[in-house]
Amino acid sequence: MRSPIYLTGTGQTRFGEHWDMSIKDLMEEAIDSAIESAQCTALDIDMVVVANMLGEVASDQAHLGAMAASLLPHHPPALRAEAACASGSVALHTACALLESGKAETVLVIGVEKMTDISPAKIAAGLMGAADAEKDAPSGLTFPGIFGLIASRYMHEFNLTREQLNLVSARHHENAMSNPFAQFRKEIPAEAISMSPKVADPLCMLDCSPISDGAAAVILSTKKENPIRIAASQLATDTLSITDRPTITSFAATKDAMAAALEEAGINQSDIDHLELHDCFSIAALISLEDMGFANPGEGISLYEKKGKMTINQSGGLKACGHPVAATGIKQIIDISKQMKRSGRTYGLAHNFGGAAATCGVHILSHA
Amino acid sequence: MAEQQRLAVSTFSLMRNTPPQIHRAQKDLKLRMQEGTIVSFTTVHHVPEGFPTGPRVIGLIELEDGSKVTGQLITDNRQPTTIGMKVLPKMRLSRINNQGLRTYDVSYEIPVQQTVKNEFPGYVLALTGPSGVGKTTVSILLSTKVGKYVERVPILTTREPKEGDEDEYTHVSSEEFLELKNSGKLATFTSIPSRNEKRLYGYKIKDIEAIWKQKKIPVIITEMNLLQGLASHYGRRSILSFGLMPPGKSKRQMLSALLHRLRERGRDTEQQIEDRLKNAEEDLKFFKERRELFDDLIVNDNLDTVVGHLGGLVLERMKA
Repeated sequence: MRSPIYLTGTGQTRFGEHWDMSIKDLMEEAIDSAIESAQCTALDIDMVVVANMLGEVASDQAHLGAMAASLLPHHPPALRAEAACASGSVALHTACALLESGKAETVLVIGVEKMTDISPAKIAAGLMGAADAEKDAPSGLTFPGIFGLIASRYMHEFNLTREQLNLVSARHHENAMSNPFAQFRKEIPAEAISMSPKVADPLCMLDCSPISDGAAAVILSTKKENPIRIAASQLATDTLSITDRPTITSFAATKDAMAAALEEAGINQSDIDHLELHDCFSIAALISLEDMGFANPGEGISLYEKKGKMTINQSGGLKACGHPVAATGIKQIIDISKQMKRSGRTYGLAHNFGGAAATCGVHILSHA
Repeated sequence: MAEQQRLAVSTFSLMRNTPPQIHRAQKDLKLRMQEGTIVSFTTVHHVPEGFPTGPRVIGLIELEDGSKVTGQLITDNRQPTTIGMKVLPKMRLSRINNQGLRTYDVSYEIPVQQTVKNEFPGYVLALTGPSGVGKTTVSILLSTKVGKYVERVPILTTREPKEGDEDEYTHVSSEEFLELKNSGKLATFTSIPSRNEKRLYGYKIKDIEAIWKQKKIPVIITEMNLLQGLASHYGRRSILSFGLMPPGKSKRQMLSALLHRLRERGRDTEQQIEDRLKNAEEDLKFFKERRELFDDLIVNDNLDTVVGHLGGLVLERMKA
């Protein structure tokens, strides 16, 4: 970071099914609570960056930048960022660039997704927009299908058993018990995971993150000092289609973004105290741990078999906390900041990807 | 029109379905017509709108030229699918859009593992069709009409005997069936799940060979899995394969003809009839998708014509 960027305000809605709230209502609740928690007023906000993927598909609503700005008294300039499930981290990265360039001094970043208004089939088709429409979709693949292919190959290469994979979702559900904003605050025993209905072999329903509504907002500033700072903000991309990659059991974008983020923050991965990673499907959690260097290839599961010093998805992750896609990347920042404030430890990392990690954002937060 | 109705025509807004999109997609179909190897595969249980309902097996395939594609996998239910298997490309009708434009796509088939048979064992007459279409009636009439030349092969089954079964089934216990299967005494077999149990069906090699020894053509009443098994066991050219279709111009009319026949027959409860009609839809789809497994598709609207036609064919083969 060329100049220090402070996390001055955070706010979010509960993640889950909000039948009585529109996309605008969700944004309003998150923005209000972010401003309330910040050391500044609404009028200090110079720009707004909105993260959203499915506004057009689910709410017939585009132009969300102006919609978010209209919730503020002075209608600041606003724009929208989209990168499927990585929309949140792309918006954060954009905000950091605006702050570093001096174009703005205080930026509101809000991620919002309204997913429960339309049928599951329609939302699944919308989410499939994160893959390559010409190469992946015509075979009849769905997103769970893509991760089914990945999981099936991973289990073949590394002899991971179905029983071991159960530990991932079970841990995330256990963690969500203490998160008041989580969609599912319910413990689920490991053996129940593989007993749930099959979605895309070998993945079952409880391996998949849910359909959720929700919004999360943060206020970043170069002027309003706060003990919590953004130590690194990095993005990386990979081919849109998994058919164009040499391997599907490792994601190059995660590796690239991670390496760049560690360099920017000037730390090693062993310095990370709290991790929020992108577990859109249970198998993605294992692959991500390996790609970020927390485990050797094929050994990601060891971090779920026993707990280590670093916490993983203390919020419940995407599985149990919920996954309103564009809000997730921003929610991770909020959770990391809470975890650092509570533990007093120094570094937290948020790992957020879109599609099958065709875009990956890694943000490192530091606590003074 | 009947053809179109047999494939689900549905409105799906998010699939690439407009004529220019389909046109562009057709251009690289040729590139995907290559043999390949399965890199990974999955069964998608909730398929996107616009595709035939029911689970769909999809593979990530590495083609001969090193490129990778995703495509529907046509699996062989007699051997488990595994990563690393070789697959062959196969052009299939994928869907029909609202304007009636037919979209073909490349799927990948796991070739049935078989030793190449040089000898020709003899002909088998196979009748395939949905329940209630009249396979048994046709076979009975055929054996009265050209009984000198044909004989029916009993179907080996583990299901409970029922009234009206006549002599078309040989009933065995599941243990006996598996014993026969494991000792390689069956030409082909399949399991058909029903509401309460899994039922096994098959044919004994001994029964078929006994008929050949009498210089007769075995007549086999079959269904889609058994037919594929027979074709791989004896070779496709040994099978005189006929699909029997109910009369009717559309799928709805055909299914309604079946419904009437099943009710008239009075062997099944309404619940069972409902199940049979569901399977019948699959059978009708199979005729279309695997047309190469049939020498001819015959509409069973007049028994005399059908039996006359098949009888004539048998006489022709016997004389040849």
